[in-house]
Amino acid sequence: MNRADPRAWGINQKLAFLAIALGALALIGSPSPGGAVTINTQELADIVESEVDHVTVEELADWVVQDRADYRLLDVRDPESYARYHIPTAESVELRDLHGYPLYHNEKIVIYSDGGIHSAQAWFLLRAEGFAGAYILLGGLDAWKDAILFPELPADATPDEVASFESRRAVSELFGGKPRTGGGGTANPAEIPLPKVKPPAAVAAPRARKKHHKEGC
Amino acid sequence: MIAPFYKYGLFGDEVSLILAAVIGVGFGFFLERAGFGSSRKLAAQFYFTDMAVFKVMFSAIVTAMLGLFYLSWAGLVDISMVYVSPTYLLPQLIGGLVLGLGFIVGGYCPGTSVVGISTGRLDAVAFGGGVFSGIFVYGELYPWLADFVKSTSMGRVTLDSWLGVDVGMVVFAVVVMAVLGFWGATTVERKLARREAEA
Repeated sequence: MNRADPRAWGINQKLAFLAIALGALALIGSPSPGGAVTINTQELADIVESEVDHVTVEELADWVVQDRADYRLLDVRDPESYARYHIPTAESVELRDLHGYPLYHNEKIVIYSDGGIHSAQAWFLLRAEGFAGAYILLGGLDAWKDAILFPELPADATPDEVASFESRRAVSELFGGKPRTGGGGTANPAEIPLPKVKPPAAVAAPRARKKHHKEGC
Repeated sequence: MIAPFYKYGLFGDEVSLILAAVIGVGFGFFLERAGFGSSRKLAAQFYFTDMAVFKVMFSAIVTAMLGLFYLSWAGLVDISMVYVSPTYLLPQLIGGLVLGLGFIVGGYCPGTSVVGISTGRLDAVAFGGGVFSGIFVYGELYPWLADFVKSTSMGRVTLDSWLGVDVGMVVFAVVVMAVLGFWGATTVERKLARREAEA
């Protein structure tokens, strides 16, 4: 491989040399995660425009049910609200604690608040810090309650709607919710008591939980 | 437009399935052309007489790694959107051993058995039958295995985060490992071929 005359190199030697050269260059040109990033506002605007920055509550419910380990779910409401109820697998982080919170730059991070304002602000903070995999839970916890915990079947539902409602009913019951049928029943989800959060230990010490949460060591 | 195209919404499920079929056929074609449709060639890997499997796999790893690294460096690939399968240490260790054992006994891995079937090799057809009965048995046993399968979960782990070093350092180390590996593999091949010739 170390022959003096490069013209005597075969294709294998040339490729090996190329690979080593590119590998050595990687030592300097490392796109180091965690370094300073410049915010490309146009790119952020494009992302918002094309709506690839959000995850729907149905998608999230699927991920929770499938016990997937490839995402982090951040609850950016205050810890009291988190203790009262949070979406399973969520970690409690307030906006002011977001900087320096242990997250990896290559993780898929889903953020939610009650509506969409705080989560959108958190999304911008994370994107500005270079977390390219940050997503907003579309509609926030309100949408989660409406669509997942307390799905409603209108009185004048079409047969298609009735059929799809059956699977939503199953999902709702899995998360300890209560499907609403008939339209005239309990109209306001706020009046229905929220399910108890399981496991209770997570409520008592939400901060301690993150160490063991999905990330292992 | 930056990759991955599917996750950035450039195309939907249907187009991604068509592309998957095209890429899959291409993958199979080159496996076959590399000689990986033959169980003799594949099994020779485990007796160190033909290290083609090792060389091809490591070349693919290095090529893909350098490609992803420099494309993401140029801002053309969003590496955080590329799927990294989560690590379940113990189940994956044991799964790897079972797969390796099947590889030695049957002469194929699941992908190459399909390549072998496509060129009409009977041993590959038998192996394919074994693969599907194995999947069936595993599926039936899954309720008993579920706890184990989900144990020792480490989430999405990459070498650089696990070792706490720069990505570039890992890239360099893997390239050096590959080149040393190729050199070692060729040396072993030559040595064994010489011994064969003498015997």
